[in-house]
Amino acid sequence: MSELTLATIPDTPLLDRPHQLRGYRLNKMAMGLSDPANRAAFKADEEAYLDRFGLTEEERSAVLRRDWREMIRLGANLFFVLKISAVDPVRITEIGAHQVGMGHEDFLRERLGKRV
Amino acid sequence: MARLIGGLGTSHVPSIGVALDKGLDQTPEWKPFFDGYRPAQAWIAEQKPDVAVVVFNDHYNALFLDRVPTFAVGCAEEYLPADEGWGPRPIPPFRGAADFAWHLVDTLVERWFDPEVIQEIKVDHGLQVPMELFWGRPREAWPVRIVPIFVNVLQYPVPLPSRLYHLGKTLRAAIESYDSDESFVVVGTGGLSHQLQGARAGFLNPDADRRFLEDIATRPEELAGWTREQYVETFGAEGAELIMWLVMRGALSPEVLVRHRHYVVPASMTGAGMVLLEEPDRH
Repeated sequence: MSELTLATIPDTPLLDRPHQLRGYRLNKMAMGLSDPANRAAFKADEEAYLDRFGLTEEERSAVLRRDWREMIRLGANLFFVLKISAVDPVRITEIGAHQVGMGHEDFLRERLGKRV
Repeated sequence: MARLIGGLGTSHVPSIGVALDKGLDQTPEWKPFFDGYRPAQAWIAEQKPDVAVVVFNDHYNALFLDRVPTFAVGCAEEYLPADEGWGPRPIPPFRGAADFAWHLVDTLVERWFDPEVIQEIKVDHGLQVPMELFWGRPREAWPVRIVPIFVNVLQYPVPLPSRLYHLGKTLRAAIESYDSDESFVVVGTGGLSHQLQGARAGFLNPDADRRFLEDIATRPEELAGWTREQYVETFGAEGAELIMWLVMRGALSPEVLVRHRHYVVPASMTGAGMVLLEEPDRH
């Protein structure tokens, strides 16, 4: 049996060195949304706000499309993603369902055992 | 000298705070969860601890990835609630026990823990939610002063479970060497099982959660001996923050009295539980 390591736990992205480096710009952009003035700027003109952070085209696009799974793949950490979803707002369970590739109600029922 | 009277462990899910803000605590969805905290609230009201040392993690609301302390101790007189994206929650600021916090920092450094020392910082749901669950929401001022211990449980490498257990033992030494007649509790926060990221998002493990709530009282050395990988696999990527309860348990005596434990699944996406452990031979 192979040894259990943090990098090999299936379907479980962790904020390790590669994710930290890859996601730094995205996470810094989202951290800015902790400030009400930046939230207002983001709501007024998302593209102009994103332009301040030197994002790559795929990072920009993932945010504008609210592609949660793609943001995580690009190194965004969920706790930063939540700052984006707080602006919309979008529920955390919807973000969960999107990452798994399930409908929201199916996710609530099958993963979380909720009666919906 | 100061006295440690007990330890509390609890989940710190943000939606618990939202439920309290919206007055949803008596709704069918939330009532079973909140009712589980009443015995601990009664215990707190009766014991009236002077100081709560709260072990938690900031969720990138006060700290960013530009500098990531593994351990940090708040030495401030006051802590304001953080803005987590919808404005700060309407709760009073927390009063800090700064004098003890500095004594704790001295004790930690003398015993080879070297924390970051923080003088000004806001605190997020990781601290707010446990405080409100155990002390209720005060109208004007919190009836207890706090010392926050921030632990990095998000950016790897996170500290080893055994290290956190040992941190708890050192925290006890600091309390027992503090020249004061104040009473202390230690609050370990986070967990239980949940995963928010990746295709395993929505992972829950109620059996392991229930076992943990028992073993934290009776077999803490075993839990302290687990690897970080075991915590991530068993409790999920974010549920692995449960290692912070080991600081609380490490501070307590080997034998403790289990006053109450409670478990509900899920609160939001999380197995939500609590435990109240009391120091023995106090009466």
